[in-house]
Amino acid sequence: MADRRTIESSLSGSSMTGSRETFEYKPTAVMPDVKVVKIGGQSILDRGRAAVFPILDEIVAARKLGIQVVLLAGGGTRARHIYSLASELEMPTGVVATLGKYIPMQNARMLQMLLAKHGGIYMLPDDFEKLPLYLQMGCIPVMSGMPPFGYWEKREEGSRIPPPRTDAGVFLSAEFLGSPRAIFIKDEDGLYTDDPKKNPAATHIARISSKELIERNLPDVVLERVVVEYLPRAQWCKELQVVNGLKPGQVLAALKGEDVGTIIRA
Amino acid sequence: MAPFVIFGGTLGVLMSNIVGGDGRTHINSRLMRESLQNKDVLSNTDSERDLQIFPDVSLVSIGGQSIFDRGKDAILPLVAELVEIKKDRSVKMVIGVGGGTRVRHTISIAADLGLPVGGMAQLVGAMEELNAILLNTLLAPHGSMPMQRDHFWDLPLYFDAGITPIAISVPPYHFWEPPPAEGHLPTHGSDFGLFQLADVLGMKQAIFVKDEDGLYDKDPKKHKSAKKFGRITLADLMTQFPQDNILDQELFHAWKNAKNLKRIVIVNGLVPGQLTRALKGEDVGTVIVKEAARG
Repeated sequence: MADRRTIESSLSGSSMTGSRETFEYKPTAVMPDVKVVKIGGQSILDRGRAAVFPILDEIVAARKLGIQVVLLAGGGTRARHIYSLASELEMPTGVVATLGKYIPMQNARMLQMLLAKHGGIYMLPDDFEKLPLYLQMGCIPVMSGMPPFGYWEKREEGSRIPPPRTDAGVFLSAEFLGSPRAIFIKDEDGLYTDDPKKNPAATHIARISSKELIERNLPDVVLERVVVEYLPRAQWCKELQVVNGLKPGQVLAALKGEDVGTIIRA
Repeated sequence: MAPFVIFGGTLGVLMSNIVGGDGRTHINSRLMRESLQNKDVLSNTDSERDLQIFPDVSLVSIGGQSIFDRGKDAILPLVAELVEIKKDRSVKMVIGVGGGTRVRHTISIAADLGLPVGGMAQLVGAMEELNAILLNTLLAPHGSMPMQRDHFWDLPLYFDAGITPIAISVPPYHFWEPPPAEGHLPTHGSDFGLFQLADVLGMKQAIFVKDEDGLYDKDPKKHKSAKKFGRITLADLMTQFPQDNILDQELFHAWKNAKNLKRIVIVNGLVPGQLTRALKGEDVGTVIVKEAARG
């Protein structure tokens, strides 16, 4: 039998499971100045004009100051509705994740229409390679926050809902681009000890490490849990900032790099 | 009042499902207003089973390093076997291929350049695709076609027409490949991608065609004393997980929580007949099952 024809490299013959690397890895940042910003689905977009317009005004103001912004949209109540139907039908998680792609895409398109006159441009998940052009032209690229895993989404124990959703997509985009902080615009001042909409005794947490957050095992958190698990492994995106988009000035302050809202550190 | 008809429904009916009152506009559903981070809410979405979409189909994965990198001597006999298998129209299979040594070379250069893990993941699929084109070129005269990424709903048509689809094996994690728990390399490779395809579609089994008679406790190319696993449960295998595994670890991590796939077979593609027997459901090579082992 013919031998394997192997190209010599630091990985030839390796099983590539990542556990026994023999090379040195010095990471290169792709576009470290870009601010990757999520606009929440249920928290912002489902509120309509009253919540969305003032936030977009602040994003446009930041862009005029030369701050490079990429917007990612969340899903919201329509995503919850389709997840609910799909769960009843015992759809595999990969199918649920595929269904979950469509609503953030709609929301991203809505944002693009609103931002078009200020350079809003709709981007597909694989269009990161076009970002340098868009940003040099002064555009505000808008895309869905949902990771493109779709049918290849893994099942989590005890749930049919895909664990990485639009928060994860925002973190993973920031990490790929080499951006040090991902910004999440929600309808709360950040992280609380419980869901403040349901528990009035919940108290605000301004600063916390991912380790501490995991250890506290809170019944509810403002961001997807999987993002807090990714955070300590990050090469670049070592901070998550959650700000209240319903309070005037918070979004612009966050885009200028100010420590408003909650900051979760790696 | 005459209902305003849209998409065959009525606006009246649609509006009755819309719930407001807290500044947000909701649609009535079991998950309405819920935080999808809440553990109790999440567990309500679960059940003991997942829908099985194509339970009579087998997934066949042909190794990159183990088969394609050996060239003609390994590839042509395997293609001849596939042509024979295809004569029995009751055998339904989807084929995927690995990328082999070119994937390792790509990653080694990309890692040296310090490219992010998502950048590496975006690059590697092209190397698997080259092997898929080679295989399709050889198999097309006998009925095969490359399948677009997630065009699964064409599969009944493929099977009715006697066409064997060749699937894209690297999953679309691309720029969004999550940072790995250990090291710096992408963890969602072609073994995982094809496993996931078999699981999400509820397939009968996944067969991995490699250049060894199955899975061994040690790398049989380096250790003469290596012992082959015959039929083993996933739970048993996890207690004695081989250091040098022939399949990616991510596949096993994902299989632990998966509900559909019950059987993974590893056969030797250099020994004619093993793949044929595995497709017929015989225990050949190493059979890993996700249930109590027989006997």
